[in-house]
Amino acid sequence: MAAGFKTAEPLEYHRSFLKENCRPDGRELAEFRTTTLNIGSISTADGSALVKVGNTTVICGIKAELTNPTVEAPSKGYIVPNVDLPPLCSSRFRPGPPGEQAQAASQFIADVIESSDVIQTEDLCIERGKLCWVLYCDIMCLDYDGNLLDACIIALLAALKNTQLPEVTIKPEACTPEVNLEKRNGLLIHKHPVGTSFCVFDNSILIVDPTAEEEGLSSAHFTVVTDEGDRLCSVHKPGGTALSGEKLQECISRATARQREIQKLIDKVIQSVKAAE
Amino acid sequence: MATVQVSEAEKVYILHGIRDDLRVDGRSCEDYRHMEIETDVVSNTDGSAKVTLGHTVVLVGIKAEIGKPRPMVPDEGYLEFFVDCSANATPEFEGRGGEELGTELSNTLYKVFNNKRSLDMKSLCISPGEHCWLLYVDVLLLQCDGNLYDAISIAVKAALFNTKIPRVHISADDEGGKEIELSDDPYDCVRINVENVPCIVTLCKVGHRHVVDATLQEKACSVASLIISVTHKGTVTCVRKVGGGSLDPESIFEMTEAGKRVGKALHAPLMKLLQQEESLGKKRQKVGFLG
Amino acid sequence: MPTDNKRVRRPEVSQSPSVFACRPAAVLPAAGPRADGRRRDQVDVRPVFVRCGLVSQAKGSAYIEAGNSKLMCCVYGPRETDRKDETDMKCGRLITDMRFAPFSCPERGSWIQGSEEKDLSLMLQESLRPAVCLHRYPRSQVEVNVMVLENSGSVLSHAITCASLALADAGIEMYDLVLGCSIRQDGASYMVDPTYLEENGCSSGSEDNQGRLTVAFLPSLNQISGLQSDGEMAEETLTAGVRTCIEGCYKLYPVIQQALAKATRKAAPPPSES
Repeated sequence: MAAGFKTAEPLEYHRSFLKENCRPDGRELAEFRTTTLNIGSISTADGSALVKVGNTTVICGIKAELTNPTVEAPSKGYIVPNVDLPPLCSSRFRPGPPGEQAQAASQFIADVIESSDVIQTEDLCIERGKLCWVLYCDIMCLDYDGNLLDACIIALLAALKNTQLPEVTIKPEACTPEVNLEKRNGLLIHKHPVGTSFCVFDNSILIVDPTAEEEGLSSAHFTVVTDEGDRLCSVHKPGGTALSGEKLQECISRATARQREIQKLIDKVIQSVKAAE
Repeated sequence: MATVQVSEAEKVYILHGIRDDLRVDGRSCEDYRHMEIETDVVSNTDGSAKVTLGHTVVLVGIKAEIGKPRPMVPDEGYLEFFVDCSANATPEFEGRGGEELGTELSNTLYKVFNNKRSLDMKSLCISPGEHCWLLYVDVLLLQCDGNLYDAISIAVKAALFNTKIPRVHISADDEGGKEIELSDDPYDCVRINVENVPCIVTLCKVGHRHVVDATLQEKACSVASLIISVTHKGTVTCVRKVGGGSLDPESIFEMTEAGKRVGKALHAPLMKLLQQEESLGKKRQKVGFLG
Repeated sequence: MPTDNKRVRRPEVSQSPSVFACRPAAVLPAAGPRADGRRRDQVDVRPVFVRCGLVSQAKGSAYIEAGNSKLMCCVYGPRETDRKDETDMKCGRLITDMRFAPFSCPERGSWIQGSEEKDLSLMLQESLRPAVCLHRYPRSQVEVNVMVLENSGSVLSHAITCASLALADAGIEMYDLVLGCSIRQDGASYMVDPTYLEENGCSSGSEDNQGRLTVAFLPSLNQISGLQSDGEMAEETLTAGVRTCIEGCYKLYPVIQQALAKATRKAAPPPSES
């Protein structure tokens, strides 16, 4: 009976739960799904992390390569994020060039990196005007069950914290770089941005960490990114129904609490990885 | 792949024939159809060959260009394959129909030929890390009547034999930079040693036996085929199962053994023929495409 | 090069740091134990970790880990075919797509599917097709997507095993499981289930009999559904190699069976209380 109701009237089905201040999967409105983290599992990458938020699984692998800085910014390196939604992660995605959602997610991640100062691109410069690092941050969704952006930011942050770059010295006489793959140094992480996504039902009910189903039924969704200093890095609200400033304020305070939880989780996992070594 | 419709009765007829080692066109199981080879058929390539096998016709042209060696192997040149399944060969190739077959064929050719023991890749190097010859091997399917792999591999070998790469010299200029100089004499050319270049033998499992050089009708009766590329010494450079079915291990062993035997026997007459044609030089009567 | 305006802008050229590392090319030792302690000339496959049904969105999924090689496979379908003009009234279509994550290999890969990936996808399809009862799914297609998360050698053989497990997990009717096994022939000796280095390293020994071989095998029907080799080998070596691979597949069989049984038990509905 319940299954029939769910298929025939999915929105009504969800509303009947929301009326009682809970959700079909048993969560409260402001409750996140269990978030687990696995850091450094890919040995071919310079840094990697796998994040699970409920069913949603995202893996981020970072590969560093050497290149020349641009003429306009001779003392800056590059960070190139790319979010991939392969057909493997959900039946809604087709093979081929990145779709609209993947493009938007890539751009969003690039904006977060830029605005939050997670890494200063000056740190990636090796020799001014001649040589710098480019960090390819390939984020791939392996199981798509909503709230992609939150998972992507956590994966990216954890992978960046795990990244170890080989030491590079430049021989003055030959002007060629020499790489010592054995000696590696970590990256300097300036800020820890963490995102929190919300969905709006019926213009007033706000839920956090939506599943794919909830995302599809809601009238608007948006993401708030904050860092450890409770500073707002980004508010991303692509269209949908309007939202009052009061509600937004509420969401920002929820996001700052989430930022603390995630940063604690990342630190804990990194500690346990270190202890295991 | 070009396919034909074969009725159940026809299938039984073909199967029974093959069981008794007598195929519809009178061949026995390990016989090839009539084959014609002509080299130097396209004047604006560095090497070319046309092979006719039954009604299958393929044309291979090779163009040599100077390129940069791959960073992993700085002292070797390399080959690039491109197979064009033209809609002339069969209407099924129209539009993008032939694309899949084309990639399959070129990938297999790459595995078969781009092997440092098949061809001396080092001889294609001009100056390590900077310049090398890269050979663009373009295969054009003109007509499909089964057994494309064998026909293409023979055509590629013949075209490689026919390829003349201009001789180049490297001279250093005043500032220590290197310059490539082309020889003034247009007949001053380098040839490629094709002795070790393998040929592909496709074996089609039909009923309990296997046949060489299957026609489209025979192919329609078979469950799976095995592609084996064999050098003149009888070593195997590439094996690949194609077609939708599976094979039991014993028949795979029988087929590789037969493939080796047939493939080894293919090389000597082919080389003899190519040398014979070469020795005729300008006196040779060109047959071309309408012959 | 055409600009890719669907992705974040990147520098036009960049090189892997390993190009500048002063390290000699990897050479395989001609004899003695292998780098990870396994023995040569023994059917010594890496212990595998397999799990079914990890992906919530897929009809069936499987994850396999052998040494450092990590692969994931999802199966979607059967559903209506994309290509309406090729609808087959009698037989379904099996579509395979195998990809390397950009960070999966020592050298960073491209986002766009290369010819190697296309070739592997094709090999995967040829190896799986004999095992799937496609005639049970007329006018529809079954999609198999494989993602290589980390390539530490023998990816094709593990992809075959993983894909057949995912197909079984999806409840697609099959005649048998398909298991894959690879060897690297190095002169007179061989290495089963080679690592990335063993697969691609140059040999320090003789020049003869250098090659790689991958076999896909249906264990309970005793049939070979996929076979691919490259390099140069004598016919006898090749035949022996095929036998070794079959033996390797049998070693894998109980592990795969167990994983599947475990997943089925988990997915089976709990006994009703009434």
